[in-house]
Amino acid sequence: MRNMLLIARREYMEQVRGRAFRMTTVGLPAVFALVVGIGYLASLGLGANRHMAVAASDPRLANEIRNQLLGDKEAKAKVDVIAPATSEQRASLVKQVQSKAIDGVLWVQTPAGSAPTATYTSQSSGDFITMDRLKSALNHAMLDEGLTGGGMKRIAADALVNGVSIETFQVKKDGSVVKSNAQASFWKGYVMAFLLSMTTMIYGMNVARSIIQEKTSRIFEVMLAIAKPGDLLAGKLIGVGAVGLTQIAIWLVAGAAILFSPFAAALLTGDFAINVTWTEAVLFPVYFVLGYLLYSSLFAGLAATCETEQELQMYMPLAAAPTWLSFALILLVINDSNSFWSVAASLFPPTAPVIMFMRMASEIPPVWQFAASIGLLLASIYGVLWFSTRLYRVGILMYGKRATLPELMRWLRYS
Amino acid sequence: MPVVELAGVTKTYENKIAVRDLSLSIDAGQMFGLLGPNGAGKTSSIRMMMGITLPDSGQVNLFNQPFERKSLERVGYLPEERGLYKKMKVLEQLVFFGELHGLVKEEARKRAAVWTKRLEIDDVLEKKTEELSKGMQQKIQFIGSLLHDPGLIVMDEPFSGLDPLNAKLLEHTLLELKDQGKAILFSTHRMDQVEKLCDSICLINNGEAVLAGRMREIKSRYERNHVIVEFEGSSAFLNSTEIADAKNYSGHAEIRLKPHGDAQKLLQEASAAATIYRFELVEPSLEEIFIQTVGGKADA
Repeated sequence: MRNMLLIARREYMEQVRGRAFRMTTVGLPAVFALVVGIGYLASLGLGANRHMAVAASDPRLANEIRNQLLGDKEAKAKVDVIAPATSEQRASLVKQVQSKAIDGVLWVQTPAGSAPTATYTSQSSGDFITMDRLKSALNHAMLDEGLTGGGMKRIAADALVNGVSIETFQVKKDGSVVKSNAQASFWKGYVMAFLLSMTTMIYGMNVARSIIQEKTSRIFEVMLAIAKPGDLLAGKLIGVGAVGLTQIAIWLVAGAAILFSPFAAALLTGDFAINVTWTEAVLFPVYFVLGYLLYSSLFAGLAATCETEQELQMYMPLAAAPTWLSFALILLVINDSNSFWSVAASLFPPTAPVIMFMRMASEIPPVWQFAASIGLLLASIYGVLWFSTRLYRVGILMYGKRATLPELMRWLRYS
Repeated sequence: MPVVELAGVTKTYENKIAVRDLSLSIDAGQMFGLLGPNGAGKTSSIRMMMGITLPDSGQVNLFNQPFERKSLERVGYLPEERGLYKKMKVLEQLVFFGELHGLVKEEARKRAAVWTKRLEIDDVLEKKTEELSKGMQQKIQFIGSLLHDPGLIVMDEPFSGLDPLNAKLLEHTLLELKDQGKAILFSTHRMDQVEKLCDSICLINNGEAVLAGRMREIKSRYERNHVIVEFEGSSAFLNSTEIADAKNYSGHAEIRLKPHGDAQKLLQEASAAATIYRFELVEPSLEEIFIQTVGGKADA
């Protein structure tokens, strides 16, 4: 026990003092924030500032389309109306598109006795945001025109056309009803699941890399004469895991400091209001530790059978498959966090940490499901450790060639 | 009373017998040489002694008791495969090894300072291991295996990679430790060092002990049929019918006589052909015994 803790302390100190720790502690959230930020900022300007022409046989409809487009503040569109428009005028407008004098031309025809048709001509075929805006403007304009043409007052027609927004509320376990925000919940779950899977994988890989390095430096021969292989492996897992927890603690403290600052309070309102519950704050480190132990013990066993980091890389896609599966299931889980597949994935140990956090973002699952997922994770960690320790204690003394499958089976029998 | 004892130990890896029915024992205050060609089973024997691998049959006793891990706190081990934590500072590394062997931090720190001074590397305590030369790293590892004042010291090729001055320094240190009553086992290919330092040896080949005992007793088993001649003049006497084999190094000849070869007759022939400065009838060197015993059977 003493030696295991000494080994864990050495591992912890070496990693915490290393440049990689400082880089990932600051760098990982910064990169994540940068990616999300750039995506958000870029999306603000998507499809905006278009100069379009609406050419229609019906001037009233054309003007209504223009009003609808100008009413969309995010679009910041400039709209010319040509109505009633002739085929020659249309051809001239298309030439203006070609010469980039305007971005596009919407041609609407409303022949009597048949359904209206519309075409949009532009130089870009992938501007789906503008297409959505035009479609919405056209449909709203036609509906508006139909309603007011039938005698409805404009205010009443506008109210119908603009629709009614729905506020969402969530009933908590204690019966209280609170205002909820599906988008904010999704992002909260996504960010936590992302951080959880990233840290689990990064520190699992750190364990594997550290084993390969020690195998290469031949330190194992010295260490095995002092400590038991089990203590060596346990010390390494505890030490590296503690580094991960330290990093998460730094992120949580820094995150809390930012979230509670007046600056963040002004920004994180409305759709971006994010609140982390105590259950999530407590379970995050628990699922990190369990996920980390599961993956790192698997990686440790694999690393002991390898000679170089390049060899280890070959196993990684296979080992990381459950994490990919977790992210592939995100939409399914967010849409119905209590479906059979959502519950099954949150109990299945390799996907449990990430999926449980995605489920928690929508609704806190029953206690028995937490207990079952943690119990199953503990049982699978025990099973994986059993195999990995046996591969580890033989593998770390094997130099010179990659172990074949029959050799690995023999290693399991040796111990 | 033996400090370490292997009794009929056998170890097999897959289809290869690495060690077969090996027995040896080392007493306190004894320097013991474990010899053998590459792949003979030396490292496998040492690994069983250190509990790194377990024997398939036979028994390992440490400090007069069946092997238990607790006993390893009284053993210092320098493996053939050198290894240190490259990113750690020298002092931190030595303290870490000392603590693993049961020392408290402060005591480990004090001993590290004393030992590094003794081996003339006290100026590198705050340097990272990766910044040191190979020889320096070897000294660090040497100290790491001795910091906890072990009763048994096991060293696999302790002098490889060291320059003559540092090799001498380590030799002296080992002799001092022997005088303090430590049992020392080392394996090496350097026969001259074994001959100079060891009280007893065990020569193994293909996993089996082929020659074992006290050095003096082993050498006395061999006939004094070796002659060293230092001369000036014609080397024609080296073709004498009394000689089985001769090596001539420009005025220094090492000669093996035929069985029952007459040394006096050879001396007469030599003095007739050249001026003789030295003519000495000697025992075969350990190297010759090694070659003679192992012959062409070595794996590598």
